[in-house]
Amino acid sequence: MPVDTFANMEEKLWILEDLNMMYIRQIALSLQDSDIQKKIDHEIRMRDGACKLLAACSQKDQTLEAAKSLQTCSTRIMAYMSELQRMKEAQVMQKVTRRSSDAGPMEDRLPCKGKVAISDLRIPLMWKDTEYFKNKGELHRCAVFCLLQLGGEIFDTDMVIVDRTLTDICFDNTIVFNEASPGFELRVELYSCCSEDDYSAGSTPRKLASKLSSSLGRSAGKKLRAAMEPGPCSPVSNGGAGPLLLPVPSVPGPKYHLLAHTSLSLLHVQDSFRTHDLTISGNEECSYWLPLYGSMCCRLAAQPHCMTQQMMNGCLKVKQLGGDPQSWKKVYAVVKGTSLFCYHQQEDVEANVEPAFTIAVNKETRIRASEKDPHSKVQNICISNQYGGEEVTHSLTTDSREDTHRWMEAFWQHFYDMSQWKQCCDDVMKIEMPSPRKPAPVTPKQGSLYHEMVIESSNDLSTTVSDILARRMQELELRSHLGTSPTWMSVFEENSPKSTVRPRPCTSRLSGHSPCIPHRPPRSPLSPHRCPQLSLLSSDASLTSDSDSHCSTSPCFHRHGWPEPSSNFPLGSSSPCRLRPRTLSLDAKLSTLRGRVYGGGGTLQCPCQPPPSSLLTPFPISSCSPRSQRSTQTTLSCSSSTSSNSSSNSEGSHSLESSEGAPFSRPSPARRSLRNLKARLDPRNWLQSQV
Amino acid sequence: MSKYIPGQPLTAVVERIEIQKLRQGDNLILGFSIGGGIDQDPGQNPFTNDKTDKGIYVTRISENGPADVAGLREGDKIMQVNGWDMTMVTHDKARKTLTKKNQDVVRLLVTRRSLEEAVKQSMGKKQ
Repeated sequence: MPVDTFANMEEKLWILEDLNMMYIRQIALSLQDSDIQKKIDHEIRMRDGACKLLAACSQKDQTLEAAKSLQTCSTRIMAYMSELQRMKEAQVMQKVTRRSSDAGPMEDRLPCKGKVAISDLRIPLMWKDTEYFKNKGELHRCAVFCLLQLGGEIFDTDMVIVDRTLTDICFDNTIVFNEASPGFELRVELYSCCSEDDYSAGSTPRKLASKLSSSLGRSAGKKLRAAMEPGPCSPVSNGGAGPLLLPVPSVPGPKYHLLAHTSLSLLHVQDSFRTHDLTISGNEECSYWLPLYGSMCCRLAAQPHCMTQQMMNGCLKVKQLGGDPQSWKKVYAVVKGTSLFCYHQQEDVEANVEPAFTIAVNKETRIRASEKDPHSKVQNICISNQYGGEEVTHSLTTDSREDTHRWMEAFWQHFYDMSQWKQCCDDVMKIEMPSPRKPAPVTPKQGSLYHEMVIESSNDLSTTVSDILARRMQELELRSHLGTSPTWMSVFEENSPKSTVRPRPCTSRLSGHSPCIPHRPPRSPLSPHRCPQLSLLSSDASLTSDSDSHCSTSPCFHRHGWPEPSSNFPLGSSSPCRLRPRTLSLDAKLSTLRGRVYGGGGTLQCPCQPPPSSLLTPFPISSCSPRSQRSTQTTLSCSSSTSSNSSSNSEGSHSLESSEGAPFSRPSPARRSLRNLKARLDPRNWLQSQV
Repeated sequence: MSKYIPGQPLTAVVERIEIQKLRQGDNLILGFSIGGGIDQDPGQNPFTNDKTDKGIYVTRISENGPADVAGLREGDKIMQVNGWDMTMVTHDKARKTLTKKNQDVVRLLVTRRSLEEAVKQSMGKKQ
């Protein structure tokens, strides 16, 4: 098609848009509802902004985000417009009916509104194995986000880039809708957009397609499709719906397409995670296609206002039936949730003082108005409940008939609400308000799953090397009763400077130059003599002596395939009793690595020993002094701190105080990756992690 | 706890535990330790009689920590975390699922021997 016709078409579209806007404004004016008008204006401004941004920015992430805002704004605009039209229709209908029937008290009771929250959205993907193995390496990426609509509120989740390394699409947002009625329909729509690297090549046909699709001919077809779609607003690929409403001006750039949708309602609400089916649109040929498993997992919770707010309050006189007829108690009563709270005075409610007593008002409660009290002209209200097989009835009375009427009305309303909200009224479901979050940190590009296996070397090479060495040493130990240290170990021994101390309790006891060596033979399978090595981290000589005296009593060490610390060797080769300081040197890293692994395994000891308290005493790690400031080592003391606590180790008390200072610390990420890798490599572990 | 037969659905009596994470500086902590995983040696699990159970177990609870307060007990087997399955995961995956930085709350489904026994007892009584 020649370019002029395009331009012509575009002009026509713009004119149509202006006309539409005038029409909308007219409707809003006639309805005297400026609220929606303001919202529409706001959204149109946002949409224009998004269009401009889309045209202006060059970075892919920005364009995707801008396109997402565009999509959201368009959807919102359409929702507002449909609502306007509905309101207008209702108004017209009302005028008609008012003429025909008189205003009878046809006031149907309306249930109370509530909050509905959806969180932890997770959509599993089902990649074929050919994606991994036959693929040349170019990652097919899609940008996805979810649009959630309930009533007139539309929210979007953050955008997530999905490629074949992800097994699920997770949206971490918690979305709360504030004014939902029990018959709500929460529509969840998943939009995706192909995010290939070069836009120019792939999108030319798409641009053409979008231009074509926005021509009037196509939009007629779209109107048909929109009419068939169940959703109230079904934005199709160009963001416009029927031709009568605003068609979105076609903007170059990424366009989101509807990939899947589902509708949730009150019967899906539960206080736990549930899986729901998704209806998938599109097929494998589409550029925006993702292999969805077909279901969606989320937590849908609802808090009806009748459960969280005071539905009725006022002064009452309460008497338990069967009691003294004169024992009317004056209370300030509040209806909230499934109870009628009776406070001594009104101020108690704000002061959060416990109510004097509480009467249950739930589905099993029966409330009726009793016969007129002979003394006063006022009717009493009787509330009957079954408390464990017994029926208990309370009588309420008020000062005037109007009050009684109001209270009865409140109770009826409350029962009605509970019947409408069904399972949401059994217990108050927790809804976490989404805290104002800092902008999510830009995650680095994910590698493939296999990249996770790569040794994440931190900045220094020594980490990688220490890891390799650790592995090597493990092999060495397990294979033989070693007599001499491998020559290369001494290199590290010499180089390490001293900054922290580490005791060698058993070796110091044994003295002599090669203390460790005689230890070795009984050690395989790992004998209790290991325990001195475990106290790599403690520094007090007193601590070590204590641990040493008990080391022979630890029974269960044989289970562990923990590698022998290499430090045996260096000590063997040089002064045995020298307390070696620990730094961030290679050797230090090795030891801490192992120490932590021991610590993790050491904790294992505690539960498996039958009388845990007594046997925990000898455990040396518990007396680790966290003097070594690193969080890694406090982890060790922490992980055994329960053992220390129960053993009331006097030595441990010193370290306990400091360890209690940081009772819940966690190892730093670098160490954790080291440790994890190491644990992963050793198949005979039963690793424990602190969370 | 019922033995896991590969390919067969697993039923268990579970308890729902909701833990509010505690913020300590930059970290959000839960106050317990886990052990186990499909990449770990199940023979060393002291909390189960079935020595082929590769599930995630709670090995230690920090006193008065968030997990303790929420009712988690040592020896509990974690079946689900926030909807994610924990019966067939690696140890690291379990740890990562529990320690997601943007989540303040974790909702666990846990099972323990005492729960199963309680149900059995009550069923026995009815009969």
